Amino acid sequence: MTEPILRVRGLNKHFGGIVVADDISLDVGAGDILGLIGPNGAGKTSLFNLLTGHYRQDAGRIWLGGTAIDTLPMFKRARLGLSRTWQHMRLFQSMTVLDNLLISASEYRGDSMLRSLLRPKSLREENRRSLDRASGILARLGLDRDRDKCVSELTFGQQKLIGMGRALMHGGSCLLLDEPMAGVEGAAYETMKEVVREEARRGRAICVVEHNVSFIRDLCNSAVFMFNGRMMRSGSVAELLASEELSQLYFGK
Amino acid sequence: MEYILNIVILVGLYVILSSSFNLIIGHGGLISIAHPIFYAIGAYCSALLSINFHVPPVLGILAGAVLAMLVSAAVALPSLRISGDYLLIASIGFQLGLLQLIEQLDFTGGPGGIGNIPGLIDGPQRSLVFAGIVTVIAVFVVLLIRALMNGDYGRAVRAMRDDELAFSMLGRRAMKIKLGIFAFGSGLAGLAGGLYAHYYQYVSPEQFGILQSSMILTMVVVGGMSSTLGPVIGAGLLVILPELIAFLNLPPSVMAPVQGILFTGLVLVFMFARPQGIIGASTKRRGGLAEAGQESGR
Repeated sequence: MTEPILRVRGLNKHFGGIVVADDISLDVGAGDILGLIGPNGAGKTSLFNLLTGHYRQDAGRIWLGGTAIDTLPMFKRARLGLSRTWQHMRLFQSMTVLDNLLISASEYRGDSMLRSLLRPKSLREENRRSLDRASGILARLGLDRDRDKCVSELTFGQQKLIGMGRALMHGGSCLLLDEPMAGVEGAAYETMKEVVREEARRGRAICVVEHNVSFIRDLCNSAVFMFNGRMMRSGSVAELLASEELSQLYFGK
Repeated sequence: MEYILNIVILVGLYVILSSSFNLIIGHGGLISIAHPIFYAIGAYCSALLSINFHVPPVLGILAGAVLAMLVSAAVALPSLRISGDYLLIASIGFQLGLLQLIEQLDFTGGPGGIGNIPGLIDGPQRSLVFAGIVTVIAVFVVLLIRALMNGDYGRAVRAMRDDELAFSMLGRRAMKIKLGIFAFGSGLAGLAGGLYAHYYQYVSPEQFGILQSSMILTMVVVGGMSSTLGPVIGAGLLVILPELIAFLNLPPSVMAPVQGILFTGLVLVFMFARPQGIIGASTKRRGGLAEAGQESGR
């Protein structure tokens, strides 16, 4: 078997008496879509925060593409190929749709003052490539007509898609999606599903936190049920959904 | 004529100060009001170099700007590492502390300040030439900041200010941006300080205190945060308005309170009635101290 893209071993984290991660171990390979399910407060988003370096683990290790990333700051993990979307989107609210995407390109080098002022040929070429790529992504997401609008003018579903677009623009080998479907319906729902499926086909390792069961069932190869920071069970989506014990935990019967 | 030139020079200096301050607080969302201390560093550095070491004023002014830049980076580095909010506290502490030090030390002239600073230019047309120089530099500074903020760098600065966490998750270093604009803005204040010292040929610590902070802040808030022209208008208004009041020939006992009330009133009126300032920011949904405050609170 080939080396998984994301490998996690024995991850632990607590805040005072609250355990948000208790001995989490998982592997996500290229093309896998792993669903993380469980009730609110189970530690799903906390796991993402540990993976991205927003929180620092008490114990355990994380590898991305064979490189240990668990001591690196967030921006370095991102540069190594970790990409994520946010439950609350966290878009750059004062900027246009297009600018939200352009700033997300992993090769963006305009954050040097001097380079930005001098605009050497290399920067102009990078910008042109980024613009092409961003246009392609916006077309995929059905947002090409809105590219010059300020993101705060768009609907909730469209904003979720822009969050996804930002992650696509950033690229990387591993994609963490935090409730991509919450509040999304209609055309945006179908687009999102298609995009996630397509990204997996292109060889990305994808983790999805999601409460929308049909989304998980349609897309994920396997899933992990989390509760109180622990992985209660992992297996196929159908298995987990069929379990009496887990649905009791989920719905708090 | 001399009187008009003097006002032109003052407006020019304040345009540099308020535009560079706007870069930090408006565009960058970094909350600090200690801008005058970097103005002071530029002024003192340049004055002392030319008096004690006979350094030509032009070089002294550049050295002052560089020193202000370095010192501001050193002040900002530790506080920005913890959280943006600490910058306000650290920088005010630094401002008041350094001013105390300047007042206590002999070589900085103590509370009385330093006089007899060599002029940048001499001769009968001194004020006219100096007004020209300051105007050119002020215009250059405004255009430079505009070019930066409208370009690729500005996009990064705005994204960082809007959401630092999301910005970092894209592989960008928020710290680099914050440190960059704070040091750059402070360096420009240092440049204004050097110009000030070699025109008025006299500096004293009381010119760089909290009153000066509130003056520059008022210019930015009234003019319009995160806009290019806002700080320019604000600087013009707040330099010229007091001069106009002076023409009313009010007795000094009335004059001082009237000015105080005017400035405080202006800030209050603008905060409530027009938080985006006279000139709103170019893109929608920006501007205003309240929003900048929110950004830092994230």
